Amino acid sequence: MTKYLTRMTPSRILIYALLSFVAIVTIYPFWHVIMHSLSDSQAALGGGVFLYPRQPSLLGYRLLFASGRVFVAYGNTIFVTGVGTLLNLMMTTLAAWPLSMRRLRGRRAVALLIYATMLFQGGIIPTYLVVNRVGLLDNRWALILPVLINPFNMFVMRNFFYSVPDSLEESARIDGAGPLRTLIAIIVPVSTPVIAALAMFYGIYHWNAYIHAVLYISDAGKQVLQVYLRSMIMVSGVGQLAEFDATAGLTEESVKTATIGAAVIPVLFIYPWLQRYYVKGLLVGSVKG
Amino acid sequence: MYLMLFPPLVYFAMFRYWPMYGVTYAFRNYSIFTGEAPWVGLAVFRRLVSLPGFWVAFRNNVIISFGGFVFGFPVPIILSLLINELVHIRFKKFVQTTVLLPSFISWVIIGGLVYTLLSPSSGVVAAILRGVGYEGRIPNLLVSTDHFRKVIIVSYVWRAGGFATIIYLAAIASIDYELYDAAVIDGAGRWAQAWRITLPSIRPVIIILLIFRVGALMDAGFEQIFAMYNPLVYEVSEILDTYVYKVGLIQRNYSLATAAGLFQSLIGLVLVVVTNWIAQKVEPGSGIV
Repeated sequence: MTKYLTRMTPSRILIYALLSFVAIVTIYPFWHVIMHSLSDSQAALGGGVFLYPRQPSLLGYRLLFASGRVFVAYGNTIFVTGVGTLLNLMMTTLAAWPLSMRRLRGRRAVALLIYATMLFQGGIIPTYLVVNRVGLLDNRWALILPVLINPFNMFVMRNFFYSVPDSLEESARIDGAGPLRTLIAIIVPVSTPVIAALAMFYGIYHWNAYIHAVLYISDAGKQVLQVYLRSMIMVSGVGQLAEFDATAGLTEESVKTATIGAAVIPVLFIYPWLQRYYVKGLLVGSVKG
Repeated sequence: MYLMLFPPLVYFAMFRYWPMYGVTYAFRNYSIFTGEAPWVGLAVFRRLVSLPGFWVAFRNNVIISFGGFVFGFPVPIILSLLINELVHIRFKKFVQTTVLLPSFISWVIIGGLVYTLLSPSSGVVAAILRGVGYEGRIPNLLVSTDHFRKVIIVSYVWRAGGFATIIYLAAIASIDYELYDAAVIDGAGRWAQAWRITLPSIRPVIIILLIFRVGALMDAGFEQIFAMYNPLVYEVSEILDTYVYKVGLIQRNYSLATAAGLFQSLIGLVLVVVTNWIAQKVEPGSGIV
């Protein structure tokens, strides 16, 4: 049996070759940009395939970080991701737990109201006008408050709460604990898998999101990392950096790849850990989901 | 309990239902100068459908999202079946980890990667073509009206494919192993096992992802297009979302942009309801509504 399992038949060799190709096509772009960013500008000029840095140099990164703007952008993104994710979790829990209670009257109607928002949204402009009306334009809270609860995540969490035994909640009630206390002291501790999963979904969303920032934020001092990156990578913002001096032999290409590198390398470092929990989270979500 | 639901309900009222009321701007003529918005019936829609730009965006929207669907939907199914055939656990883990990586990277960064790799002067694709002896002119796919949509679709499949692959793999992992043992006794080869056991077993998961995907067909990827397109390819890559953005927030014609957005969400709503209905006919109990 073990022989059969590991024998390399021609079709199996083909599958291995094919998936190796898929893996290379997925990884190489990241590798390429990082190696390019670590190369000397002039040596990298010819382009082509990069397996290692050519004449290692950190000039691109030095220039990137010489401008304080990148740190401002990092700070804003960290604020939105941190505060946003925390509030996301609190609000999602506050909605999901009562809706998982069979004895709560009217919970079906409320669930339906929330479900309807998954099927139909007001759209870009009506939402923009609301954000404008409540005075959130050019405010970092505009990236947090309009997306406080993702209905899909809310239902994932409610489905998880269904699987928590009712007796837990009942005994807390009999002991005289109020609903909020029951939630915090009893329910949250037994729900860490789903909370961790949703924290990751929300956190990654905030870290990568940029369309709302484009729509709602115009003040450069409040702009988030992704929008800053876009201005550097796509709109050729490199030339506008005061520190950029083409005569130093540094090409725009090098600064661009350094920008991408600065955004990608931290993610690559935490990725192995991240993906393990992410996959677990997907499984939690698929319970009844 | 009801008190707990209060903050979430305020959120849904303010940022989900208030914008829904805002779609009435599509039936009113909003003036940004006076702030007045008299009802005009279908006049705004009549004007919208008379604009060539709207139909260009609609056409691109359909082509891009259909392309992403037709090419993107089967890929994860095939990949998960192939990965399931791998017998070296470490290689299997490696491939799984790799294909999920792009899902964690923002479109801004991926746009940057694509631009770097496809550059006709220094890109990798150009270098490989030259390496195999191609001497003709290498087109810049990113400014080519013939090729840009292909770049969008391929990069979409590249980024999004891993996520569904992981979901299918989780479904495959939960298949009862005795089914395979029985099949082996009946003389079924690997191919027959994949076709007769694995695929039918993950059918419910395929159907659920299919419903979500078809329901999202009107969404051609605002973040992706916004991160990757440039003025030279607007005519082939302007989609409804970017059109709404330009008409609404650049030209400040709120009514017209709201009408375009409403048009889009209504088609999306019909798509969800219809696919859900079909899914329940084909496989009772599989719908999401």
